[in-house]
Amino acid sequence: MTMANIENQIFSSYQRNPSLYDEIYDEKGNLKEVYSELFNLYGEHSIKDFVKLNEKAKSSFFNQGITFQVYGEKETKEKIFPFDLFPRIIDPQEWDIIERGSIQRSKALNLFLWDIYHDKKIVKQGIVPMELISSSANYLHQMVGINPPGGIYNHISGTDIIKHNDGQYYVLEDNIRCPSGVSYVICNRTALKRALFGVFNHYNTHTVTDYAENLLDLLETVKPKGVDIPNVVVITPGMFNSAFYEHSYLAKTMGVELVEGRDLFVENDFVYMKTIKGPERVDVIYRRIDDAFIDPLEFRPDSALGVPGLFAAYKKGNVTLANAPGTGVADDKAVYTYMPDIIKYYLDEEPILNNVYTYHCSRPDELKYVLEHVHELVVKPVDEAGGYGISIGNRLTKEEIEAVKRQLKENPRKYVAQPIMSLSVHPTYIDDNESFEQRHVDLRTFTVLGKDREFVLKGGLTRVALKKGNLIVNSSQGGGSKDTWVLKK
Amino acid sequence: MLARVANNLFWMGRYIERSEHVARYLNVNYFSSLDAPNQLSQSRQFVLRSMLFMVGEPENDDKVHLDEEEVLYKIGLDNDYQFSIINNVKYARENANSARDLISTELYESINKFYHFVLNYDADSYVKNGLHDFTVNITEMTAILRGKMRGTLLHDEIYAIIMMGVNIERATQIIRIINAKHQDALKAQGSYGDKFSNSFEWTTLLKCAESYDMMRRFYKKTPTSISTLEFLILNPNCPRSVMNSLNQVYRHIKVLDPSKKYNKKSTAFLVGKVRSEYEYKYINEIESDIQSFIENILERLAEISLKMEKEFFNY
Repeated sequence: MTMANIENQIFSSYQRNPSLYDEIYDEKGNLKEVYSELFNLYGEHSIKDFVKLNEKAKSSFFNQGITFQVYGEKETKEKIFPFDLFPRIIDPQEWDIIERGSIQRSKALNLFLWDIYHDKKIVKQGIVPMELISSSANYLHQMVGINPPGGIYNHISGTDIIKHNDGQYYVLEDNIRCPSGVSYVICNRTALKRALFGVFNHYNTHTVTDYAENLLDLLETVKPKGVDIPNVVVITPGMFNSAFYEHSYLAKTMGVELVEGRDLFVENDFVYMKTIKGPERVDVIYRRIDDAFIDPLEFRPDSALGVPGLFAAYKKGNVTLANAPGTGVADDKAVYTYMPDIIKYYLDEEPILNNVYTYHCSRPDELKYVLEHVHELVVKPVDEAGGYGISIGNRLTKEEIEAVKRQLKENPRKYVAQPIMSLSVHPTYIDDNESFEQRHVDLRTFTVLGKDREFVLKGGLTRVALKKGNLIVNSSQGGGSKDTWVLKK
Repeated sequence: MLARVANNLFWMGRYIERSEHVARYLNVNYFSSLDAPNQLSQSRQFVLRSMLFMVGEPENDDKVHLDEEEVLYKIGLDNDYQFSIINNVKYARENANSARDLISTELYESINKFYHFVLNYDADSYVKNGLHDFTVNITEMTAILRGKMRGTLLHDEIYAIIMMGVNIERATQIIRIINAKHQDALKAQGSYGDKFSNSFEWTTLLKCAESYDMMRRFYKKTPTSISTLEFLILNPNCPRSVMNSLNQVYRHIKVLDPSKKYNKKSTAFLVGKVRSEYEYKYINEIESDIQSFIENILERLAEISLKMEKEFFNY
């Protein structure tokens, strides 16, 4: 099949905006080598075939019940996470940078957490200001002086990475509280295999199904002292949580119990679960409940999701919590801006992945700059998740810009600002138009830290902003995802 | 296994089984009444009342005129009626959701498909001309679910819990059906020489339990009150009989609780006691006072359910 033919079919109406970095073309505008085979294979399909395949993939997700809940004003809706049939390919050289960079950040954050909950050397030596920590809502004074089993705080990290139009990878965010999305990585692979199994024969792609076994192995390395074979469980807020599918998927594939707070109780500072045969001791808890809710005796007293006494058991070293309470202080957007210094301080290494330059609105001179340049900056609250509260300067009306300025003046500590990064684009099948179009993508990698061992899932979640021109990829804001292939060397 | 999840799985089994019996009851009664031999059994009002009686919403006032579409909608697809088929299926799926990590992907996907089928069924076409299609699909999908339970789950405690739910519910529903058709047979007697003991309603009853063909094979005679009741209550080889359900419950409770066999406070002991009570009964003892039998057995089944709750689901 010739190139002309292909252009006639599936990519016939694909329009390239030259100012955007398109993942499948090189800087000269030629198709990248890693994509050429795939391009040929997809060229054998007509748009009609694609419409059909897309429908199939959608119903497969629906029947499998791989859905998430969207909370509206009136009713909660069950939606599938939109899935794109055109995979993203990452070659081994690029992946090497991503993988080493993700591990480097996770390790540095772990050492940072240990330090700020112990001696605070980094503050004493003036690398980061004290107020960065003391003013953070996610800093838990209860964690001061506690040594988590294996010395690990952020067992599971999700690192959000983008490619800017300079062709470089930048980290946008470190998620080290309860990062989600890993189950979709695996489901995307399954769905693509079902729909287009033929294409896998032409590529040598790393598997993504080994996540659960590695996660379990690494969680077992951080078991409490004196435990031989630890009993690991996953704790979920319950089936109405938007990520419940992921919680049950992880429990099922690790072969461990999925519990809710009401299934556990604490006696003499040991944690037990209530089974049909009576109480059974629990040693390691992979918790998908936020800090504030894990223990009503220690944190929010109105929490019905947690386990009374859990924190006391943790303090005694009788149970491991993954991730440790209080990790949120380090994935704060204000801490993010110090990441290059944090990496250098603890690891004595240069950062492998770039950081986006960030203006701190808490600093008067930087606030001044931000106020003058709101129209060309992204302004973000430091402690919101899910893409909420973000304003992108060049999209705002005059009135909106004034509103942002007012917010900044009122509460400067709450905001940081960054240059508008241009996320790379990737051909994406758009259902409504029945055609392939450029859409912005990012990548979330999943890194697991254990005692003296670490693991990065070779793949990751490529999220796509399905609305044209949109830069926000979160699923709650209309984002979809793609299967992500990391090629073997 | 977590006590809470065990409870959910128990109820998942019950709700799946319940939706099947209700669907079949609607189907068989509606369609067999169309050419019933006597006028009363043919009457729409008679059939609609029987359906409401079966789901526990009896309409006793003779003067009330029931609307066919309303009754069918209420029992089938009414979201606001707690015991409708659609709500049974919803509860079943909700329970399955909470135990997704324990059951097989195959079983979960089938339950999920079942749920989407019922959820998306067009209510208008159901009440106008879709009763057959809707109910037949439900009975077939529940048959698939039973197959997936047996064929894809580990036959361990989880399976035992689900099967306890299925069989306790089956016995309960069969008794409810017997009760409803017994009432119908009483009402129908005398009209056009229809005697109670060989009423047309016994045939309908057997069909409601998918047991008509096998009953004919076993007795080689037209169903009478006594042979029908004997077959559906006491015959251990009839898969829908109360006796068979009790035997199944007994089998599964032993998996759950092998060591407490002689503990007189255990569920296993109670199940064994109820089971042997019916194993050595004559049908005449039951038939002479069918109301007492119905009350007694329903009470015993509720007692078993309650005991299970105390022993296993106490969380």
